[in-house]
Amino acid sequence: MGAPLIGARIQRKEDYRFLTGAGQYTDDITLPRQTYAAFVRSPHGHAKIKSVNAAKAKTAPGVLAVYTGEDIAAAKLGGLPCGWLITDVNGQPMKEPPHPVLAQGKVRYVGDHVAVVVAETQDLARDAAELVQVDYEVLPAVADGRLARTKGAPQLHESAPDNTCYVWALGDKAAVDAAFAKAAHVTKLDFVNNRLIPNAIEPRAANGSYSRADDSYTLYVASQNPHVERLLMTAFVMGLPEHKVRVVAGDVGGGFGSKIYLYAEDVVVTWASKQLARPVKWTAERSESYTSDAHGRDHHTIAELALDKDGKFLAMRVKTTANVGAYLSTFASCVPTILYATLLAGQYTTPAIHCEVTAVFTNTAPVDAYRGAGRPEATYVVERLVETAARELKMDPAEIRRKNFIRTFPYQTPVALLYDIGDYDATMDAAQKLGDVAGYPARKKASEAKGKLRGMGYAAYIEACGIAPSAVAGALGARAGLFEAGEVRVHPTGSVTVFTGSHSHGQGHETTFAQVVADRLGMSIENVDIVHGDTSKILFGMGTYGSRSIAVGGTAIVKALDKIIAKGKKIAAHLLEAAEGDIEYASGVFKVTGTDKQKTFG
Amino acid sequence: MSVKVSMKVNGKAVSGEVEARTLLVTYIREHLHLTGTHVGCDTAQCGACTVHMNGKAVKACSMLAMQAEGADILTIEGLAKADGTLHPMQAAFKEHHGLQCGFCTPGMVMNAVDFAKRQPNASEQEVREALEGNLCRCTGYHNIVKSIMAGSKTMATGK
Repeated sequence: MGAPLIGARIQRKEDYRFLTGAGQYTDDITLPRQTYAAFVRSPHGHAKIKSVNAAKAKTAPGVLAVYTGEDIAAAKLGGLPCGWLITDVNGQPMKEPPHPVLAQGKVRYVGDHVAVVVAETQDLARDAAELVQVDYEVLPAVADGRLARTKGAPQLHESAPDNTCYVWALGDKAAVDAAFAKAAHVTKLDFVNNRLIPNAIEPRAANGSYSRADDSYTLYVASQNPHVERLLMTAFVMGLPEHKVRVVAGDVGGGFGSKIYLYAEDVVVTWASKQLARPVKWTAERSESYTSDAHGRDHHTIAELALDKDGKFLAMRVKTTANVGAYLSTFASCVPTILYATLLAGQYTTPAIHCEVTAVFTNTAPVDAYRGAGRPEATYVVERLVETAARELKMDPAEIRRKNFIRTFPYQTPVALLYDIGDYDATMDAAQKLGDVAGYPARKKASEAKGKLRGMGYAAYIEACGIAPSAVAGALGARAGLFEAGEVRVHPTGSVTVFTGSHSHGQGHETTFAQVVADRLGMSIENVDIVHGDTSKILFGMGTYGSRSIAVGGTAIVKALDKIIAKGKKIAAHLLEAAEGDIEYASGVFKVTGTDKQKTFG
Repeated sequence: MSVKVSMKVNGKAVSGEVEARTLLVTYIREHLHLTGTHVGCDTAQCGACTVHMNGKAVKACSMLAMQAEGADILTIEGLAKADGTLHPMQAAFKEHHGLQCGFCTPGMVMNAVDFAKRQPNASEQEVREALEGNLCRCTGYHNIVKSIMAGSKTMATGK
């Protein structure tokens, strides 16, 4: 073999099928005797459900069933669980109000699921959904996180007084207060990191199918995280044995976080498929994506940076209100805490940092991880503060950053993370060179001559990727390990199929993971196939989010490959009548060191 | 009310009974089982449903199957040669990494092929403007533009 395959410019293995329309996204799968679901959703932010009258819908053409919250309660289906426990400043667990898959007595956001209609076609299901009459008593609603804890604010959940999920803090408050007391300058900002809608180009979809023959379920779903979806659905919601449920997330058209979670629709179609003994498919319309996909961000923050007279950072104080929406989505709790406050050191030696986060319930769609999940929010806080401080102190924005860069590693930040290594001057140098900072004044002048404005800004970013290892995640409240599974199957002819618990929804695992495998084994990439997204094929998996695919999923595969090579050496030693320690492996060949005796991998 | 529709899809004559309100994209996906044409927004904004009708790119989510009566429809499945060889525009997307999750890709390619036929020597700016009706959430468009520039060139010059 020649040059390393890792990093090589090669064409993607998955592209032929995507380019020829042969991808298999969830909505592309239509099963024999397929039925279709349409959800009746709340048009109100907050209302009591006085009654649901489905009589007309039930007799509409093609309708097979209408289910409401009462049916779900009678079936004893649990609510959607949250996968990360946050412990508040008083040592109490966060408030986890029930999150029913069809509303029980009350709706709490526009888009909340009230009922589902199952019919012979999608059009007929949607027609009948419009015939379901829901009598609401509209209640006052609160949408803005800043208002959720004000006196007299509408209360969403009995079990969460003052709409408070938790008040959580990280860092040494006394040290921060002391540093602020002697600061020469304090920069203070009050700002919003706005809520957004993830909008993957493929709308969410789920197709549940029950088999009476072996009392098992198959759920095809647009998910980033099929094994965790199965775990949560079986163990926490439906009370089913895990081995009787197969979750398949084949081709998925983008996720950006919004497809990590277990959603009500996924549970409902799976449950309904048993009631009807027919597969039930639901595909979101774009407007449903807007109202029912988990949203992102939605922070209000008051942040302060204390500096000495030379621009050296002394301390940072951050108070954030995180609007988690009407219910806790799967990972909602860890995003504005563990994934946020731990990044507030940025690239700087700020010796004391204190962050307090108040998570509040409001009458809005649930908020969860979206692109970077907490970490971009932290960077926004830090860099806005630093930039503003530079302007207030009339310092060069690059110089104030360089003045505070961490240069000694390993570096223990005051917000839990330990940085092993870094070279922030090098990245700043590179950025300044790429951006031709030296030539900026001339460009600005030229723009001004044409009556145009020109600006330049800096942002220094550090990110905690991977969300692992399990022991650390567990200590911080994760209710599942954050490992990854990798299995390498060597076929008799030497070609290889690799099974990963990581998931691709645009990342290109079939190519990048195959590059790693082919490189490690010294074989052609054509002889490597990567399989992902099916719980019946893959041992287990924790899915893809938080930039963890290659870091954690790739590492699991490499560890498996090393075991394959070790076993191959043992077999080669036996066949070549040599000591195992004398066998070397390179470019697909096991060789007795210093001889021409060899056996090929395939 | 059901109506009879008949048209040519990827060179083959097809016909069927559909509800009058059946969208062209529904007919293609659900009745003909050609699932390469996707629905991303239902509202003619994202372009994932783009097919050719009588040689011109149209958004199949926002027209009725009835409106394609007698038309010649080409979907992404009909673009490559019968032996599987990619159309130059498909090949250019593969070469220039013009896709990631692949969901918007069929619509992108169908629009690009129509555009390249109409404007074989388009500038990069014109290509970007031609993509106004096709949304991609993964790539940031840069490589899509590169792919279309290259694919257009191959279509015009044969190389």
